[in-house]
Amino acid sequence: MATVAAPGTQAYARPALLDWLTTVDHKKLGILYLYFTMFFFAVGGILALLVRTQLAVADSSFVSNNAYNQIFTMHASAMLFLFIIPVWAGFGNYLVPLQIGAADMAFPRINALSFWLLPPAGILMFAGFLVEGGSANAGWTAYSPLAQQSGSGMDLWIISVIILGVSSTIGAANFMVTMFRMRAPGMTMFRMPIFCWTMLVTAVLQLLATPVLAAALTMLFIDRNFGGAFFDPNTGGNAILWQNIFWFYSHPAVYIMILPGMGIISEIIPVFSRKPLFGYKAFVFATMAIGGLGFSVWAHHMFTTGAVLLPFFSFMTFLIGVPTGVKIFNWLGTMWRGSITFTTPMLFGIGFVSMFLIGGINGMFSAVVPIDFAIHDTYFVVAHIHYVLFGGSVMAVFGGFYYWFPKIWGRKLNETLGKWHFGLMLIGFNLAFFPMHLLGLDGMPRRIATYSESGWEALNFASTVGSFLIGVSMIPFLIAVVAAFMRPKDQPDDPWEANTLEWGTTSPPPVYNFDELPEVRSERPLFDRRHPDLAGGGH
Amino acid sequence: MRRYGIRKTIRSVATIGIAGAASLFAYSSAFAAFGQPGGVTDEARDMHNLYLVTLAIAAVVFLAVQGALIYIIIRYRRGKREDMPAQIHGSNIVEFIWVGIPVAIVLALFTYTVIVLNTVERGADEDDMSVHVQGFQFGWEFTYSMDNLGPERSEAGSDEEFSIVGAGLDSPELVIPVDERVEFQLQSDDVIHSFYVVDFLYKLDLVPGRDNRFAVTPRETGVYQGYCAELCGVDHALMRFTVRVVEQDEFDDWVEEMRGGGEEAVSGASDTTSAVREP
Ligand SMILES: [Cu+2]
Repeated sequence: MATVAAPGTQAYARPALLDWLTTVDHKKLGILYLYFTMFFFAVGGILALLVRTQLAVADSSFVSNNAYNQIFTMHASAMLFLFIIPVWAGFGNYLVPLQIGAADMAFPRINALSFWLLPPAGILMFAGFLVEGGSANAGWTAYSPLAQQSGSGMDLWIISVIILGVSSTIGAANFMVTMFRMRAPGMTMFRMPIFCWTMLVTAVLQLLATPVLAAALTMLFIDRNFGGAFFDPNTGGNAILWQNIFWFYSHPAVYIMILPGMGIISEIIPVFSRKPLFGYKAFVFATMAIGGLGFSVWAHHMFTTGAVLLPFFSFMTFLIGVPTGVKIFNWLGTMWRGSITFTTPMLFGIGFVSMFLIGGINGMFSAVVPIDFAIHDTYFVVAHIHYVLFGGSVMAVFGGFYYWFPKIWGRKLNETLGKWHFGLMLIGFNLAFFPMHLLGLDGMPRRIATYSESGWEALNFASTVGSFLIGVSMIPFLIAVVAAFMRPKDQPDDPWEANTLEWGTTSPPPVYNFDELPEVRSERPLFDRRHPDLAGGGH
Repeated sequence: MRRYGIRKTIRSVATIGIAGAASLFAYSSAFAAFGQPGGVTDEARDMHNLYLVTLAIAAVVFLAVQGALIYIIIRYRRGKREDMPAQIHGSNIVEFIWVGIPVAIVLALFTYTVIVLNTVERGADEDDMSVHVQGFQFGWEFTYSMDNLGPERSEAGSDEEFSIVGAGLDSPELVIPVDERVEFQLQSDDVIHSFYVVDFLYKLDLVPGRDNRFAVTPRETGVYQGYCAELCGVDHALMRFTVRVVEQDEFDDWVEEMRGGGEEAVSGASDTTSAVREP
């Protein structure tokens, strides 16, 4: 399919820089999101290496206690708020209109606003390092009353997170309208690609939960600066109130951070197994169930406060494990009796299933409240969140990169380098995070700047080596990216024999996305076109 | 044909799962409890048993699913084949089974959780001994009152108290008698801390404005490490303490010693913090 110039685009030709700064094209904005978030992935990663360097040995004084608290707070804040949440918006921006056969998002200018809110927020958050007292240092959870004591870096952090919240709230509305109103002819809701479904549920969660966070942060800002008394018991407030409001947002936020990743690997695994997703509808309903139940489990972060109804939140937490388990079976069922090729995207997909399984299982330990009494706020929990957010989400991010790189940039990432990237990352990841289970069970509290127990040294050192191995694994990735950009755009429309509409246009797609839309009769329109004999049987 | 394939796969997956689980039990007996200490209180022992059951279930699930994954990617790799696999969109039987299995596991584990939770959280009786635990940035003060040291020792109506204070590297030691139920009353006036004794397998937060308490019956004498488990500021990492569980008559002697200990042992409340904090 040849690229046909969009009518009139020549007349509006602008310098490239101005074009990128003023674009409202969902693809360009998606690329900007990806650049922005990968930058903060690197920043958050460097902060993580500082944390691991400090903890490599007992009684370390590589950084001061004060600096340490800033470093781990900013590591988490960068990774969660500036990398993982917006990176899905990046993939979503690029892919959702293409996957549903639309020419752009429903509100292109709001879309641009969503992105352009991010850079000032990132700058504000990190400007904390320049002000007196340093950056935010109360953890990404900003528990009150501790957060009342921090310096003005904390105020910058609050403002930054509020801005990021505005960005994802308006972005969420945009995604919802786009998917509800702009699907191609024939694309019913139950023929939408799974990635779109996960973006849709994520958008609903963002729309419902993020304003709650904005409210909480505003209250905290008032407490800190205008003599408010929401959260500080010494002035008549309630410290538990902060935790309730914060986690009412932040537990759904965990699903905001993982659901689109599940969507990405649910695109990858069927393509490289040459089979449809096993149990498409079950997967969609499981996603909705996770989204719904996600609002009823927030207090499982608060089992040791003595202020929550333990059996209720325990039960709901157990319950949310069921739809999560269903998804793992969906992926296994897809590969079962398939015809599997081990391309780099598929390796990341398999890695996701394998590591996320561990992240699901070790999460169940926290649902068992009496076990949580022991492991809460220890390194066991740190292991858990990293098996979910690194073993899960980050695997999916890289899987998505290798998978859609030919579509987005018209070039393919080198497969050999990709496999080195995957292998080193998988080993480094497990070396970094598996020992944390044992440290946590042995009592090592999280967020401590230093420790004296010689018995913890070997495991911590192993973890530090693993974290640097993750850093090393980025080298083949970066080489692959640079090498790809030095080559011409030579990728065909559909290099992977994929299923969904974005592969039915050129790589990269023209400004208006499609010259002609393939017919949509199932959730795999391109498969149907390639194999008319096998078509049907889907939804 | 297709039905037969499903059964065959279920059978091989089950075989792998069972074989894997068996080898794990052999493995785990060598590695004991995968790192969790056994616990030194009645409550901790109950919780540790629950942990072992959960660990066993987790191990079976892990090996069955990870085993299935590895089996599938090896068995169904494309290799040189170029044929198109059968386009299976789902199977109601299989999907029903795999919703059912997690539901069953969850219900069983939840039931056991509630049973253990009720014993662990049953609290103390009126005349059980209690210790007041005050957390502050960045240390602890443990206060004993003479009218609250259990039925044998208490001097009813007495307002005599003594405390142990420590902060930073000078971490304090909390002393309690073995085989006697002790209640800890947790309080903080600055920020949230968390009272975590590793071998109790338990922690509870000290929340300003809340009266949190829990009780345990220690069963083994010894010295156990404790930490503040909730980030509470710059020296959070140094907010450590120990718990020494001693024989009952040793505890009686210790109490007498502390009562006669004069100024130093009876050192006051948090306003002496700054003096104590200096390493
Ligand atoms: Cu503390």
